[in-house]
Amino acid sequence: MRPSAGLLGVLLALAVLVSGLVQSTASKRCTQEENVRLLQGVVFHLGLSDLALSTEARYTRHPAISDSVVVSMDHPGAIDHFPSTFFWAPIRR
Amino acid sequence: MTMNSVGRLLNILDYALYALRRKLLKNVSVFCLFALVIFFLSSFLLVSKALTEAAQRILATAPDITVQQMSAGRQISIVASAANELSGIFGIEKIDERIWGYYFDESNGANYTVIGMRTPFVGSPAALQLGLAEGRLPALAEQGKVVISDNIRQHLQLGERKHFSLFRPDLSQAGFEIIGLFDKKLEIITADLILMTLADARDLFAIPEGYVTDLLVYVANPNEIDTVARKISDTLLGSRIITRNQILKTYKVVFNWRSGLGTICLLTALAAFVILAWDKASGLSQEERKEVGILKILGWQTSDLIFLRFCESLTVSLLAFLSGYVLAWVHVASFDGALFRPVFLGWSVVRPVFSLAPPFAVEDLLLVFTLSVIPYLCATAVPAWRAATVRADSVI
Amino acid sequence: MLIDLEAVTKIYNQGQINQVSALRSVRLAVAKGEMVCVQGPSGSGKTTLLSIIGCIFSPTSGRATIGGRKISRLPDHFLTLYRRELIGFVFQNYNMIDHLTVLENITLPLIPLGISPRVREKKGDLLLEKFGLRHRKKFAVNQLSGGELQRAAIARALINDPPIIVADEPTAHLDGILSLEVVDMLAALKKEGRTVVVSSHDPIVSGHPGMTRIIEVRDGLIMPNIGKA
Ligand SMILES: Nc1ncnc2c1ncn2[C@@H]1O[C@H](COP(=O)(O)OP(=O)(O)OP(=O)(O)O)[C@@H](O)[C@H]1O
Ligand SMILES: [Mg+2]
Repeated sequence: MRPSAGLLGVLLALAVLVSGLVQSTASKRCTQEENVRLLQGVVFHLGLSDLALSTEARYTRHPAISDSVVVSMDHPGAIDHFPSTFFWAPIRR
Repeated sequence: MTMNSVGRLLNILDYALYALRRKLLKNVSVFCLFALVIFFLSSFLLVSKALTEAAQRILATAPDITVQQMSAGRQISIVASAANELSGIFGIEKIDERIWGYYFDESNGANYTVIGMRTPFVGSPAALQLGLAEGRLPALAEQGKVVISDNIRQHLQLGERKHFSLFRPDLSQAGFEIIGLFDKKLEIITADLILMTLADARDLFAIPEGYVTDLLVYVANPNEIDTVARKISDTLLGSRIITRNQILKTYKVVFNWRSGLGTICLLTALAAFVILAWDKASGLSQEERKEVGILKILGWQTSDLIFLRFCESLTVSLLAFLSGYVLAWVHVASFDGALFRPVFLGWSVVRPVFSLAPPFAVEDLLLVFTLSVIPYLCATAVPAWRAATVRADSVI
Repeated sequence: MLIDLEAVTKIYNQGQINQVSALRSVRLAVAKGEMVCVQGPSGSGKTTLLSIIGCIFSPTSGRATIGGRKISRLPDHFLTLYRRELIGFVFQNYNMIDHLTVLENITLPLIPLGISPRVREKKGDLLLEKFGLRHRKKFAVNQLSGGELQRAAIARALINDPPIIVADEPTAHLDGILSLEVVDMLAALKKEGRTVVVSSHDPIVSGHPGMTRIIEVRDGLIMPNIGKA
């Protein structure tokens, strides 16, 4: 086999691998669909506004309903949370 | 394209592969470095995509409007009777009262979210069993009954015990009994939740009778949400109104912001890499110069030689691109982006377990491609052209 | 005439401080089937003359027609096309690519023509057979002796079956016996009907019985006929 054919084969194999991964993730998403509906139900009934990704303070647990200044005052263990130590301006609504 | 020009391309590609094999170590290290950068870049993109999309989907049923009271620039409790003032506004379907607070557990540094609600407990119980793995929801009149997540149960180190207590602001203890557990499948939203009745929450936080932390307003027609929100803010002076759209937008911004931060760091790496590529490609050794001269005199066109270099760069970058991209998918879809979770989620004591399943988008693929392969090809283009323009008579 | 040069001038680095007139109004005609020896002292312009005949570059001024193609003032791209079709080269220093095998080296000109590896190998085998190098086919070129290298170089010059062979001092690095062997081979090519132009200051070359003409170059000018013809 000539090297160029080998290379094209490898590239093709990688492309197939990518599409396989995408496919399997897509089917994972399908199986999650039911769970998402369950989650949506809980969100609806409890009136939740945020995900529990990181739960340390109002500005991490509930970024959506926190003030932009709460970073400065909220967490019991937070010492250095003044806006001046932040690189970016708070999110504009 | 004629048969012959296909043959020419394949022949030159063969020759390029030989050339790459000859400097195997060098090219393999370039490949690895490049694949690593692409792996990071696409992992970032996929994690942020997965999280943003999860937030958009899961929070699609968040309350239409959340109303809070502000004082001196801070959020304070709102008087529950404000709901009566709103009843006149046309388009409001229903208004829920809620107490929503945070409880800091000093013993382990965790922060719990306490929700006190009235409505779910009077609604149809069947619909509300949804979120529970076991047990039931507290009834409206019950006292000291809570539903918590398994995560919290472990943090409180309860084991099989059903009773625990939390401190009121005056340090007296409020006792609770666990009567239900949230399903583990719901951790992404319930990991830190303690659900109780409105009265229990008011008692725990010592909120005066008749006050709550927020009012949840549901609007019959989604098109009217903004209008209703404006009317509410006109009616309740000093209030803060948050619509669902703003919530969803916040999530988009938060993750874009984080992935942007990461991308900026990675772009620096990429820039360094491209400079390296330039450097590698631009140094034309005496031997290489001679080789080009010989090939030229033997009838290779300048375009053949440029194509030869292009094949070398394209081979390395395409292989690296695809390998990095494959690894990124494995990393994000199979290992839930383990390397980048801290960057996206920050630190936390109570941490939910959930899996990522990013959607595939052609534009992401193209974005990574344009940020990596294209700069690499560009960086090697000028040196390639310079190498190809060595004159044929330089070897005679 | 297969090769026809009229008032051909070549100036290197024109307009710069290191400007050199390597050829000055040269006139030369070579018929098909001739074997011409170009001789002259170092720096006289032999290589420059052979480069123009070999379509490596076009003259600064004057008219040059090679194999019926006018090459004066032609862009490199077209020169290369004519070179592929018309010319086979043999060099003083062999000009082989060290990290390739003998077979790969002699089939290099076929790569940009889009000829498949199998056909390339077949053509290469034929020529290696003809020049007694079959057993060296898969050797790296740096494992070959000087004589073998020059034989391989002649084989490479023939891979496109060109009508003109241009050899610039092909015997400079070889001893007497090997030199003779090389000139014999070039003379054999002449017998096949090819036109051979060879530069050399080696009497073994200029005195070879196959030579039809000797041209003397001095300081960029062609001297009046001195030998043979
Ligand atoms: N690329 C070049 N740039 C500038 N000057 C050149 C170049 N090539 C040759 N020359 C000059 O042109 C003149 C003729 O050179 P050429 O190489 O044709 O001589 P030659 O007869 O082949 O010499 P030798 O026997 O040493 O090979 C010389 O003076 C040389 O210095
Ligand atoms: Mg010379």
